[in-house]
Amino acid sequence: MKLWSIVVTAGCLFPISVLPAWQNPAQMRQPESAGDANEARGMLASAVQKNPGSAAALRSYAEFLEQYGQPEARAVYAQLLAQLRRAGGAAEAAEIAHRLVILDLLAGDGEALTRDRESYRAITGKALPFSSSEPREAWPTVPIPGPMRSFARMAAIAPEAAPEDVLPALARNVVTNGYQASRSNETLEQTEYLKLLHRYLAQAHELEKLAGAQYAIQVPNCDSPNAGDLLRILGFRMRGGCGSEVVLETVNAGRAFLTADSGFPVNRLEEALRTNRPFSYDFHPTLVPVMFGPAYWTAGSKEPDFIEALISDPSLCRLYLGLSNLEPATAAAMHDAGTLTHLRVYAHVLDFFGGQFELRDGKAVVPGGARSAAAWGELVGVSPDRGVEFFGKLLAKDDGWLASLFDSLARINTPVRDYLTDPVRMKRFYAAVRGKVTSPGPARPVFRSNSDMLLLTTRLELDASGKPHVPGNLEVWKGLFTNNPQARYDGKLTRLAATWKEPDDLLEALFALCRKTVENQPLKIFMALTDIDRGRATPLGAATVERLARSWHTYGSQFAVFSEAPQLSDKSINQFLDTAEALTRLHEPALRADAGGTFQALVSLWQILVRQQTIADRNADEAFAGVAAGFADVHSARELFDAGHRGFQSLLNAAAKPADSTAGPQERMAGLLTGAAESDDVETRQEMEEEMLRILDAQHLVSLDTLFQLSDLLESGQRPDKAASAQMAKLAGRIAAAPLARAPLTVVERNAMGFGFWSGKHLDAERKLNLRLAIEKAAGDPARLANLPEVLAPLLRDSLLGLSYAYYAPPGAQVLFTNPVFVRSHDFIGGEGQTNLWKATEPYGSGWPSNGGGRLVGSLSSLPYALAEAEENFLVPAQTQALIWGDLVPQMMLSAKIPRWWNVTPVQMHWVGLNLRYGRELLAEAALDESAREAAMVELGRLAAPARTAQLRALIERGQVKEAVDQVTPAELFWLSRALEPARAGDRSSVRAQIERLSREASSQVSLAAISRAFGAPKPTLATSYRPELLNVRTFPTLMGYSSRILAESWESNNLYWVALADELSLRPAQLNVRIPQWTRELVEHIFASHLEDWPALLRSLRAVGDDVREHARAASADQKAALQDMPTGRPQ
Amino acid sequence: MTLSRRGFLAAAAGGTLLRAQEPQGPVFRVKVDMVVHSFQVTDSKNHYINGLKPADFRIFEDGIAQKISTFAEGANTPVAINADGTTTPLLNAKGAVPGMDRPDAFVGTNVFVLFDTSNFMYRGFVYAEDAIADFVRGLDHADSVAVYTFSRNLSRAASLTREHGDAIEGLRNAVAGDDTALYNALLLTLRDAAKVPGRKVVIVFSNGPDNASMIAPDDVRAVAEDEGIPIYVISTSEVNKDPISSGVFRRIAQRTGGKAYWARTWQRQVEAFDDIREDMSNSYTIAYYPAANPNEGFRKITVEIVSDVGKKYRIHSRPGYRPSRSF
Repeated sequence: MKLWSIVVTAGCLFPISVLPAWQNPAQMRQPESAGDANEARGMLASAVQKNPGSAAALRSYAEFLEQYGQPEARAVYAQLLAQLRRAGGAAEAAEIAHRLVILDLLAGDGEALTRDRESYRAITGKALPFSSSEPREAWPTVPIPGPMRSFARMAAIAPEAAPEDVLPALARNVVTNGYQASRSNETLEQTEYLKLLHRYLAQAHELEKLAGAQYAIQVPNCDSPNAGDLLRILGFRMRGGCGSEVVLETVNAGRAFLTADSGFPVNRLEEALRTNRPFSYDFHPTLVPVMFGPAYWTAGSKEPDFIEALISDPSLCRLYLGLSNLEPATAAAMHDAGTLTHLRVYAHVLDFFGGQFELRDGKAVVPGGARSAAAWGELVGVSPDRGVEFFGKLLAKDDGWLASLFDSLARINTPVRDYLTDPVRMKRFYAAVRGKVTSPGPARPVFRSNSDMLLLTTRLELDASGKPHVPGNLEVWKGLFTNNPQARYDGKLTRLAATWKEPDDLLEALFALCRKTVENQPLKIFMALTDIDRGRATPLGAATVERLARSWHTYGSQFAVFSEAPQLSDKSINQFLDTAEALTRLHEPALRADAGGTFQALVSLWQILVRQQTIADRNADEAFAGVAAGFADVHSARELFDAGHRGFQSLLNAAAKPADSTAGPQERMAGLLTGAAESDDVETRQEMEEEMLRILDAQHLVSLDTLFQLSDLLESGQRPDKAASAQMAKLAGRIAAAPLARAPLTVVERNAMGFGFWSGKHLDAERKLNLRLAIEKAAGDPARLANLPEVLAPLLRDSLLGLSYAYYAPPGAQVLFTNPVFVRSHDFIGGEGQTNLWKATEPYGSGWPSNGGGRLVGSLSSLPYALAEAEENFLVPAQTQALIWGDLVPQMMLSAKIPRWWNVTPVQMHWVGLNLRYGRELLAEAALDESAREAAMVELGRLAAPARTAQLRALIERGQVKEAVDQVTPAELFWLSRALEPARAGDRSSVRAQIERLSREASSQVSLAAISRAFGAPKPTLATSYRPELLNVRTFPTLMGYSSRILAESWESNNLYWVALADELSLRPAQLNVRIPQWTRELVEHIFASHLEDWPALLRSLRAVGDDVREHARAASADQKAALQDMPTGRPQ
Repeated sequence: MTLSRRGFLAAAAGGTLLRAQEPQGPVFRVKVDMVVHSFQVTDSKNHYINGLKPADFRIFEDGIAQKISTFAEGANTPVAINADGTTTPLLNAKGAVPGMDRPDAFVGTNVFVLFDTSNFMYRGFVYAEDAIADFVRGLDHADSVAVYTFSRNLSRAASLTREHGDAIEGLRNAVAGDDTALYNALLLTLRDAAKVPGRKVVIVFSNGPDNASMIAPDDVRAVAEDEGIPIYVISTSEVNKDPISSGVFRRIAQRTGGKAYWARTWQRQVEAFDDIREDMSNSYTIAYYPAANPNEGFRKITVEIVSDVGKKYRIHSRPGYRPSRSF
């Protein structure tokens, strides 16, 4: 046994210091602990080079590479295995052969896998068989004429879609986009999308005929008769005779449009005709599998073509979609048990709520398990033991209400599920959800309408007593239901509320309101207040809860501030509300807008500084209360300027790490916002700060330094002497020099054509401001001078606002760099009669050329999201047809922008990387070991729908681990590792050994809370907070009222994946602040989704960007090596 | 198919660092790169005047005389102006013009075609493709061309290339559909064009209405003006049909030294493209490094023709630019 091995196995039999450096693993890995994995790698590699015969050196190096996800690990392990086999170390050789098999499975390297499995068998005499060698069950296929690429373009399907995913995606697009209400009657008529798809199929059939039996469109030369036929089908003709003058031009616009839109290579054809060369185009049909075979779907149909028959029948499409969502065995059983006609009637319920249906041994798997099975049987009318029949009845029950409850409960795996599936309780809540009139059911609209129930079951909190957490107390909620002048929720519920005695009574009412199509205000209030209480050491007092509940209607969008900062006392929250109410009462709209804007800008800065821990938790409440109290008595612009000035100064004072005290206020705040003044990554910090300063400059905002210096001079209370006058003139000159673009339209133009033009009073007032003149006029009167800061109040608002805009600026920030008055245009009030002061921030006025571009309206409560929304149309999709995914993209952008990684340690990064790698390893192990597979499947089943879990199981059983891993999200890999790793003490995986070591040696850094805060994503809708966190919830479907926004918030994979990637590339944690926004932007630009729930498209894009980053990093590293080798001395100089 | 995307998305919618030395904060400085200025000279009947030499021109910025570094006419080989007033073909004079790393980039024009493929253009989509393809085929071999398409987002259908066939290939690969964010797309096109050395033009082919841009036309126009990129607009609408868009197109074209055309029919579109091509081949391009000028705002550029005859001529160009700022 090698010396190093002795050290490892015997737990330092010899003092490490006596070992040569290359044999001292702790010493060699010291740089790693200091965050320099590259240095450690170099030392380990060097040890291998210096000691080619050392198995210990090889092992140490291989394990290091494996722990950092380096593909070279396999080669080093293979070298080690060869060496061990030569040396006769059978036990260790068996272990390494097993490890190689795991890595081969993950790499999808069949050849190496065969070789290494054989090695293992040769060493141990035991095989490593897969449990299934059965080929995947293949459904009969149907042809789609022509290349898939063309069909995918016309059908709006991602070109990377697997053949088995094509028909479900097509069916979904037909259901959601294929039909619209007729203008003339109540029937449905085809949309332009579907009409064009039909026309394309017709054209493709013509081309297929022309292509003949060889499925190749051949045009031997320009004079060939085929040329004419082809051009006729394509809708083009030749201009000019055959030869160099040939140009193809449109003759039949309808056909030519299909030709162009489907991507037929017209240009190549034109080139062939011009040069009189043969043109050949492969026109083989694409074969796609049809679930249960085409005959099942087209029985009785007069349309012979399956695709045409499918897309012509929306209910058939919905059933196809519904059945394709089911776990395959369940789908097959339902297919066998019922007729197409019967299933078709309930296709909508199956589509939305069938995804969680699962049969096990013929019995239905129900939420709550055995304890709740009887209750489910009573509710459905059939025992879950009669699996298929149970699901058949469930589908048919009350137009989908019971199925929707089943779906909501099946999606959760927390103690809340146990609570809600208590038989008595479940029946009670079902009765509430169902109501008396069941139609229309929750599956009737295009998007799920009962989104509230899904949110309630997912986000409900239980107290230590095991009962639902009721913010405040029950009396508050009784009062809200019975005596609420702002809204009456439901007559019956109002009457019943007086009799409520326990939390379940309130919960029942909340379930009952889930069936309403109108906004479910009580549930939103309940969830928002639950979210505020969630992180607090002491829950909010009843009086505060009552006040918040009753003011939700007006100030609800501000609650995210309270949720994010559990340090806030009841008193401070009440102070905020007092101030907000006082500001709302200000009569003069311009003053109200400036006061509200300045106050919110300071709160926004406070929020950032607290989130970044620049303001320490212990100071957060006092700083907040100070800012809020300062604005409570503002009645004039003069008072407003003072409140703003004081509030700003109090934030600077509250910062834990004082910014450079020699710098001016503006630079100090910019420095604090940039964060981590102590960061040793000066380059990254400088880059971040410069970006902020560039944005502030592009916005032509007056420096806070100038404003405060001028106000100090004006307020001196004395007649200014010559020097003071000169200084005031100079400062006023600086303010005047900030160029403000002219209004886009003159008054005459506005009246003539600026329909809907808003006056932009704030900007107009600033354009008219002549500060120098005002100072000159007041120069002789100190009292008048002292009052002049009132004219600076609007400018102060803009400058403070600008800091938040710059901080949250999404990557690219085209709007902020191009529209110099974007910040100044923020509209806190809105149009005539509107009050947007406390509403959520929204982009407004896009696509309105006469209005000077878009701007943001409302409060600052959702500024990060609104800025990302404003920027999303500037993203450039990587693929011609892909478009940026409306609601999902802003959330992805802010998830990359809000978290900052200054306080993250290399250990935390490595921890995430190790867990993602170990999650992969567990899936590979599952291919070889049945008990490991069962454990992995149970854990995956908590996050993945039954259909996907079954698919993963089938792949793993066949040894197709790489394919399986490609379908598992990084978040799922992380949680899989965290769920199983602690119980796998016997696992000799070096990755696991590192995880165990870190959890022992750096427990506070790698605690779930610390990792969640460091690498989570903000969830403003799902958790009423911009605080980054990991919630470990299933990816949500598209929900009515939220579209893909909640899906995006439940998608926690991006940052985890990026961090693991950064760990693999040995980046410094601070670099995440720059890299993650860039990578996320690329991710978004590479998404090609087929529909609004196509999260696998996100996963593909995430991996594609990651692979691209790795490739570039390796290329850069190879260039660096080559450069070093080219140096005469062979050493860096 | 792409029109479905409309429904899909509608449903979803819903330099050098100079650190601050003064306590007031960072010091912003004006950073002046080489100014490339293109213009046409016409007589009173609007006929192009060709054959003028570098010595025939004087150029001023805010009235301050400037020293011309390079000169080109149409697609002819550009020349570097030596200290004694003589000229040297730019391609042979590498290093003669300080800071000019790629003199070859000054040969020909870099043409960026921005093609509106939004729902508004649905009906005329294929004819528009034909017209643009004809235009690209007719470009001088020295010219480079990029084809960008846009609806709600920009798509770089063909990157800047001298292989005109590749550009047409990209054009023919365009996909129709979705909302129209014309000014957003124009801004991104200008940003791309600004990174390319040499002379460049942007040609917008659209029917006008914009329903998705966050950026105002005048902000985009300011970028084009500052970067010295003329914008030509071919509107497939009628001038009176959409007065707001027509006014905007006219203003953008005039202020950047381009032109606006209203060409509803394919024939008119072809004529508009012919006119643009003629404009390009009859343009003069002068490059200079601005002399010291304290003005950090808008700088007015004046081109004068020295000879008496020249005083009767008209010069069509952008009025000026704003120097970029760095800190």
